[in-house]
Amino acid sequence: MPDLGKMLDVVAERLIAHAEELTALDSAIGDADHGLNMKRGFEAVLADKVNILAKPLPEALKAIGMTLVMKVGGASGPLYGTLFMTLGKELPAEPSLADAARALTAAVEAVKARGKADFDNKTMLDVLGPVARHLGNGSATFDSVRKLAHDRAEATVPMKAIKGRASFLGERSIGHMDPGARSSELMITAICDGLEDKG
Amino acid sequence: MNDWKSSSVVIRHEVGLHARPSVKLTKLAKTFASTIQISGSPEGPWIDAKSIVKVMAMKAKQDSTLYLRASGGDAASAVDALRGLVERDFDEDAAHAASG
Amino acid sequence: MRANDKVGIVIVSHSPDVARGTADMVRQMVGEDVPLGYCGGNPDGGLGTDVAKILKAIDEAWSEKGVAILVDLGGAETNSEMAVEMLDPERQGKVVICNAPIVEGAVMAATEAWGGASLEDVRRTAEELSPQ
Repeated sequence: MPDLGKMLDVVAERLIAHAEELTALDSAIGDADHGLNMKRGFEAVLADKVNILAKPLPEALKAIGMTLVMKVGGASGPLYGTLFMTLGKELPAEPSLADAARALTAAVEAVKARGKADFDNKTMLDVLGPVARHLGNGSATFDSVRKLAHDRAEATVPMKAIKGRASFLGERSIGHMDPGARSSELMITAICDGLEDKG
Repeated sequence: MNDWKSSSVVIRHEVGLHARPSVKLTKLAKTFASTIQISGSPEGPWIDAKSIVKVMAMKAKQDSTLYLRASGGDAASAVDALRGLVERDFDEDAAHAASG
Repeated sequence: MRANDKVGIVIVSHSPDVARGTADMVRQMVGEDVPLGYCGGNPDGGLGTDVAKILKAIDEAWSEKGVAILVDLGGAETNSEMAVEMLDPERQGKVVICNAPIVEGAVMAATEAWGGASLEDVRRTAEELSPQ
């Protein structure tokens, strides 16, 4: 059973450490607040860690989601909040890899609905969707998941944004990595790193 | 089938029937049960005086004539009240001076 | 406690100044009779929106006839949708987010609400401004 406290530390540290990079990506095609917003959100999660860890995994994930919803302040708050809340709703207290794949698939669908977005719209979904599918096919390793997350984030560079603020830029959104795809990659990589150290 | 009570009035307000006057006219129209319509010409097209969007979209200008008509139980008082509002320059002198 | 016979209007902007300014316009043009709530800014006070503040604004503008929300940009809409889903179930069905420009939509919606229109009519009036 992975140590949720440690996972939280790794994910939060990673996102906070990359806040400036995320904000720089967002300043190219958005409103230059994604890094700061994620930092504020995960700092709030860390501040509430004791309460979160006192709960069973599903409830803890819902609490993380709720904190992100309340604290992030941009569209990424409800989007990542929905991701975590749906994971909490779908995961059992002691999840298997198959449980994780199914829960992530459900969470990706929920984020899609929340953001009224689809795959290939140059969003976080372009990382999370492929990772969910990859986890479901049974052959996933930490390395393959990390590589996939990285490649899918890179793959948003040539895409044209059709959702979110970046969509106002149309063709000019091409050539920049989507900040939400990058933050999703960072999160997934951090989770792999955290799980692997433990395992 | 409609028995219209009609009137007309010249808009003196310096910006014409713009945002604030439109809201006032619409609000007043909504206080009557009758169907109330306005137009920039006696032949129409007539628009619903209770629709803020349509009234604002009319963009009636200063010194243009606003034609009013109403049909229903309180039609006569509705027409009088709306004409009065326009004649009084939408009761805006004080508010207008205050807000520059 | 004001009579709940008019639909309430909530203004949600990324900017606290835009939210307050829009609310001022509604107050000056339409008057004090329409329940009104507004909020802007992220939890740190910078540009953005804040689900907790949106919930509070909905509460301030609450009317049994319903509440119409006007938003500016993407995140304001997403956060407003989130806030609506966090309301009590019996309140959720009485809140709509209007697809309309924030300032014009707020004034139009408030004017319609002032006359006692239903929530659906208030929303339709605000949305008449948007290209379909």
